[in-house]
Amino acid sequence: MNILPIVWVFLPIITAIIMFMVKPNWIHGLVFPLQAILLLLFILYIGHLRAFPEDALLVFGGYADWIGISFYADALNLTFVGLTIVMFFIIMYYSFKANRKEKKYFFFLTFLEGVFIGLLMTNDLFNLFVFLELTSLLVTILIAYRKAEQSLKAGLQYLLISSVAAMLYLIGVMLIYYLFGTINIRLVAEMMSTYEDTMLMRVAYGLMMAAWMVKGAVFPVYAWLPKAHGVAQSSISALLSGLIVKVSLYLIMRLHGDMFGQPYGFDQVFFVLGFVSGGLGVLFAMTQKDIKQVLAYHTISQVGLMMIGISFGSGNSYVGGVLHLLNHALFKGLLFLAAGVIIKVYNTKKVYEIRGLFQTMPWTATLFLVGILGITGAPFFNGYVSKTMIKYAFADDALWMILFQAINVGTMISFSKLLVMFTGQPKAGIDVGKSSFRQHLPMTLMAILMLAIGLFYQPIIQTLYGFTAYDVHIGSLASLVDYVLYFSLGLTLYYGVIRKDAKPFQQIRDFTISFPSLNVWLLAVVLVFLGLTLR
Amino acid sequence: MNPYVTLIIILVGLYGLISSTNIIKSVFMATMIESGVILLFLNLGTWNGGVIPITSDVSLAIVDPIPQALMITTIVIGSTVTSLALIISIKIFHHHGSIEWKDLKR
Repeated sequence: MNILPIVWVFLPIITAIIMFMVKPNWIHGLVFPLQAILLLLFILYIGHLRAFPEDALLVFGGYADWIGISFYADALNLTFVGLTIVMFFIIMYYSFKANRKEKKYFFFLTFLEGVFIGLLMTNDLFNLFVFLELTSLLVTILIAYRKAEQSLKAGLQYLLISSVAAMLYLIGVMLIYYLFGTINIRLVAEMMSTYEDTMLMRVAYGLMMAAWMVKGAVFPVYAWLPKAHGVAQSSISALLSGLIVKVSLYLIMRLHGDMFGQPYGFDQVFFVLGFVSGGLGVLFAMTQKDIKQVLAYHTISQVGLMMIGISFGSGNSYVGGVLHLLNHALFKGLLFLAAGVIIKVYNTKKVYEIRGLFQTMPWTATLFLVGILGITGAPFFNGYVSKTMIKYAFADDALWMILFQAINVGTMISFSKLLVMFTGQPKAGIDVGKSSFRQHLPMTLMAILMLAIGLFYQPIIQTLYGFTAYDVHIGSLASLVDYVLYFSLGLTLYYGVIRKDAKPFQQIRDFTISFPSLNVWLLAVVLVFLGLTLR
Repeated sequence: MNPYVTLIIILVGLYGLISSTNIIKSVFMATMIESGVILLFLNLGTWNGGVIPITSDVSLAIVDPIPQALMITTIVIGSTVTSLALIISIKIFHHHGSIEWKDLKR
């Protein structure tokens, strides 16, 4: 029973190889039994862990744990594994019909699932590096899958920048090995308290955190994300924004919180960086005209909000940040998938050319609206719960609260832009075709999950994290009035300011960072982080 | 090899990533950083006159095998990354007829 985590890694990989080798296309249907088996094994393993908590640690090959590779399961990574299985099921179900003849698509997607679960479960710093690089490789292939011009460039930039980030991380691993003689995360964490705080340890910390900034597209090294997420297929965009980009936050929690355990003042750095990237993300998103670019820039902003939450380390704000991570996977996934359906029907990505969604595709439009309500934090939806919980720790601090609400209003402004798509007269000659059940079922599932988290957040948080959340007063009159007021402010600002598309906004829209200057920013982040840790 | 020399290799690679305008050069600079990191890691537990760790005689001063085991894996992964990056560069050349970063519009 305790070897189940290995099965989660190898079963998808073996299935991927079988699907690649067997010729007929019906073999791709294997992905659905695979997800069902994974989910079943996941539930079995959780039940097993409840009975035998000592089985959480799994060392391979009978070696001693300081030298062997090991997997370790706790509440943090098991939540992620559950989310991974659900997200992959949704993405595969959504894209099955469109890609059913694409052997390579399912091969890489299923392979990625196994590798990603391995990345979450591993307890070994070098093994983590291997899984990290494999994830980058597979994601690059999936971004550049259609071999269109832009996606090739975006894929190459993603591959190069993440391999450089992985190298920074590897230098950190080397320093940890030099200092402790082991690269087992839990053993290093145990020894950390007895070791004196040396310069090399601080250097290792700075380099590792700089690497996670790149992987999470935090300001100022965000420039690869809108390119990569904006040009991939919609299903892949949903996967990247919903799941893959969160790995950086998971690793910050794992290494900064669990392993180093001493923040070196970085909780404040993450707090401030979270605000900066939250604000800049919405500023860029407001000015975009491409529906997928709007959503991609919003990922940067939402990752910023999660960083604000997890920078507190414990308490309501921290749990709010972790919950926002799950919530964002649901609503951003839903938005990208719905955008995919809309783009397919209207055959354009331009927001201003899409009109009359409620007339042409009422069900897709409703789901898209649910996504918008979730991401803007409407009461009864999951975004409201996690955003309110993130605010908890600095609710009395006027400056940060104003900034936080400004980010919120910015989110509403940019989604007001998308709301324009819903009304008006659709262009003649729009062929909706027959409504695709296969695409709407997973989206509906996500919408239901969003509502469920929004309404029953307390039992859910209690089961997942063993933490009693404070009452966020869903459905109280004050929160509803607040939401309506902020949204009207957002709508007013959109019609008054953004709609006019003044010169500065055009400049912001056209602002891009080329690959060489992205590396300048990367170097700047490394130097600043090293300076901050060594001060 | 002296660790400071490998640090210089890494820094040259970083400088190359910042300054090169050519895609192929960027790919090679990323490879160069990786080579620097590999050499740096191999410094650990290795010294002149150390015995290779394929022996059962425990009295010999054997070098630490773990960095070498880790680095052979890194070399394999690095070659995969480089080859994928070069393949994509070729595709970009076929699309654009150019491998300068600035010639690619967004």
